[in-house]
Amino acid sequence: MSKRKKKGSGDSRASGDGPRIGVFVCNCGTNIAGFMDTEDVAGYSATLPNVVFVRENLYSCSEAGVNDIKQAIIDNKLDRVVVAACTPRTHEPTFRAACKDAGLNPYHFEFVNIREHCSWVHKEDRDLATLKARDLIRMGVARSAYLEPMEPIIGNVVERALVVGGGISGMTAALELAARGFEVVLIERQKHLGGLVKSLYEIYPWGEKAADYINGLASRVERNSKIRVLKACEVTDVRGYVGKYEVTVSSGDETVVAGIIVVATGARPLLPEGMFGHDSRRVITMLELEAMLLRSRSRRKKVVLMGCAGARIPGRFYCSRICCMTAIKNAIIMRKKWKADVTVLYRDLMCYGVQNETMLVDAKKAGVRFINYSLENPPVIEKDTVTVSSEILGRDLKVPVDLLVLSTPLVPQDTNVALSKILKVPVDEYGFFLEAHVKLRPLDFATDGIFVCGTARWPASIRECLEQAIGAASRASTYLARGEVEVEPIVSVIDEEECRGCGLCVALCPYGAIELIDTEKGKKARTIDVACKGCGTCGATCYRHAIRMKHYSDEQLGAQIRAAFVKDP
Amino acid sequence: MLAYSEVEGLSRKSGGFTLKVRRKARYVDEEICNACGDCLEKCPGRAKDTFDMGLRQRKAIYLYFSQGIPAVMTIDPEACIYLKKGKCGVCKKRCDKGAIDFEMKDEILSLDVGSVIIATGLDIFEPGDLTYYGYGKIKNVITGLQYERLINATGPTGGHLYRPSDQKLAKTVAYVQCVGSRDLNYCSYCSSVCCMCSIKDAMLAREHDPESVSYIFHTDLRNVGKGFQKYEKRAAEEYGVQYVRGRVAEIGEDDEGNPIVLYEDTRQRKVESLKVEMVVLATAATASRGSRELAKMLRVKADKYGFITTRNDQPADTNVKGIFACGFCKGPCDIPEAVSQSSAAAQRAASHVLRSVGAGASKA
Amino acid sequence: MVPKVAVIGGGIAGIQAALDLAEMGIEVFLIEKKPSIGGVMAQLDKTFPTNDCSI
Repeated sequence: MSKRKKKGSGDSRASGDGPRIGVFVCNCGTNIAGFMDTEDVAGYSATLPNVVFVRENLYSCSEAGVNDIKQAIIDNKLDRVVVAACTPRTHEPTFRAACKDAGLNPYHFEFVNIREHCSWVHKEDRDLATLKARDLIRMGVARSAYLEPMEPIIGNVVERALVVGGGISGMTAALELAARGFEVVLIERQKHLGGLVKSLYEIYPWGEKAADYINGLASRVERNSKIRVLKACEVTDVRGYVGKYEVTVSSGDETVVAGIIVVATGARPLLPEGMFGHDSRRVITMLELEAMLLRSRSRRKKVVLMGCAGARIPGRFYCSRICCMTAIKNAIIMRKKWKADVTVLYRDLMCYGVQNETMLVDAKKAGVRFINYSLENPPVIEKDTVTVSSEILGRDLKVPVDLLVLSTPLVPQDTNVALSKILKVPVDEYGFFLEAHVKLRPLDFATDGIFVCGTARWPASIRECLEQAIGAASRASTYLARGEVEVEPIVSVIDEEECRGCGLCVALCPYGAIELIDTEKGKKARTIDVACKGCGTCGATCYRHAIRMKHYSDEQLGAQIRAAFVKDP
Repeated sequence: MLAYSEVEGLSRKSGGFTLKVRRKARYVDEEICNACGDCLEKCPGRAKDTFDMGLRQRKAIYLYFSQGIPAVMTIDPEACIYLKKGKCGVCKKRCDKGAIDFEMKDEILSLDVGSVIIATGLDIFEPGDLTYYGYGKIKNVITGLQYERLINATGPTGGHLYRPSDQKLAKTVAYVQCVGSRDLNYCSYCSSVCCMCSIKDAMLAREHDPESVSYIFHTDLRNVGKGFQKYEKRAAEEYGVQYVRGRVAEIGEDDEGNPIVLYEDTRQRKVESLKVEMVVLATAATASRGSRELAKMLRVKADKYGFITTRNDQPADTNVKGIFACGFCKGPCDIPEAVSQSSAAAQRAASHVLRSVGAGASKA
Repeated sequence: MVPKVAVIGGGIAGIQAALDLAEMGIEVFLIEKKPSIGGVMAQLDKTFPTNDCSI
């Protein structure tokens, strides 16, 4: 449950006097003062309405600078502080803390960026940089008069995790979370744990039998007293927010309450359905080959493995990342086990890294033949031969074949879209789950407290799945270990009198932070403070103007904008 | 945070480790300095700017890079005239905060920890040995990381592709893939990120200059990550990037300093040559210098290339209990993989140190 | 055992590991041999495939 602490200092405008604003202009050595006249800017600031104190500081962020601000707040009874310096990204917490130390509500602080927005980008024109700094400070001062006191929102975190998917990624994530002492509920759609890896023969690059590995993992999961496994079971509804998700599952009326959710639903290989003459006998998929290898003996002597069957083509324009290695692994196995002639047809061999490239070299040493083909000239498949147009040789090659294996790509689970709607997290154009940031936050969703790992996110090798699963457990543990979440109080506030309960804001909220509740006056939207990020989408959408953004209210922004366009500033 | 510090030793202590760390003397007080830059102005000492891959000179007192953390100056003892000859001290006079301290000595710290995570990253393969590519001899043949500094607005050319020989804007650029990588004489592995890096670099060139033309000479284009295939296509369709399948055999130079690229186009089955204004070598990425020594010191296994070996079934765990590894030091990987691995290493390390606290009652 | 962790290397990998540990309430020493943290990623201009600024 979220709770909001009682208000700190009161709103000074209510007391009848105008606000008492202090402005601190940072000259930051050459960084700011080198490209503008900070003395002029400070002098100008003193002429602005409600400004009762101005100081030009060498380094506002230094200990001396911060102490100076604190002292000035006390000595001059300041109730608003405007610092004109650099980016809020680094020093907003510093100055907010200074305000708090001096007895001022930290949200009575306004940051004006005259470094990135003025001195750095207008190095060539000192006068204009100075004018722009004046403008920005005037706007900041105008807004600061309307700032309201706020307190951070604290939410408790239920120390239980829900892991969706009982394949290699889900089981690994569950075990890692249990090892930290957290309770885990693991939910699997099938009747058995194991997922796709269970049907494989050997794991590259270390050669362990897949079934041995996965069964070992499954029995560790089943034996672990911290983990409860729900099989043949699906998530049907999720309500709540980080710290307390209430999850309805298909196995009964039970509701699982969990602080965080890990999505590990995996992927499946594309079924070729008639593609390249697929008949599951002479033309099979890689997964069918794995099953054949599990059955051991075979009399097939002329095997052709074809890469990119249904991948990297219009409509499915992505590389499935793992198929080249799977093909190469099995090519080596067939050379050894069946003494077969093995040819790999490829467009590009995606053997990234050390182990994959090493395996490619090993395959060549083992006598596996590799022939390059292009998207424009795909191999022609006949009864006993495959004809490949080799770019390197510039002519057609006829390869005899008694077994053709298609490397079809991993495709998203059909259930991803439905699950993404339940969890209110996005999927990409193909249906793989879409993380918060492809580069820097690969395991997080934009929604706090929901994480993703393994092939639900994107095709990945087993090693990568393990890394992501343990990583997702880490991301989840950062919430579970603290036991509570502290959230900025910059959230939306909905006026229930004005709200008509249309639900537009609920549909558009990217964080699932608004819920419709039944009241005596009908359905009303209400913000879940802990989940709200203060993005403003709801406020901009509401045709009743019933939604107000805290800290970015119409009054605050209106004052700021009006100050931008004053005549004769 | 201990920046400008190196691990010098490790000993075991009651299930945990004691690390000996040398905190190198910056000759600048981290607590006082706020990187205002007053000290830089008159400093007479000069050294190669390693952050800018040697593309420009920096002063003996320097800020490693402008957005760096901690944002403090450092004096390079190899270049500082005062530290070498006992005379100068201009920076000390210029610093009115009194942050400069020539008497500062290296500090040896002893850190007691329950676990260690190795995340020593990568270094760039020096392509000078590949004499046929002319790096170091032909001025307009540069490495990919040097290119990143050239195209960067805070770099030595302010983000313009002024080529090194004559500061002329380079409009046709060739990118040579697998320089040192997939090469049995040097790094026989694939460095994983160079294909996408070169495509990105070529796109950036076009963004900076609409007339720029790029050629990427590649073998397999290994673009396996999320959205990479579309990126490869978009570069060709919207940014004029031309892909040529084939290894570059040799790079020569004409009288005006233009590199001449000699290559075999395996699609056309022809040996061709192409005059360009600059060549960017997509050099292999290696385990960082010193990682072999570090591995030895920590008694952690590394492969023949110096990459840290981890367990197949526990990919964050090394052979030493309590020591974990993540990122490029384990082998080539892209940023999202590195980030995932790092979270994994953090989880394993947390489990390790907390499990031992109060035997089982492991709650943070 | 001391519930503290040393992270050797202050690039993107080391920073991420340190952040996760710190958020779990575990004390971390982040050890970087260069004058500032950031590693190779800080030297890049943009990153693929979004062409976001690398810093």
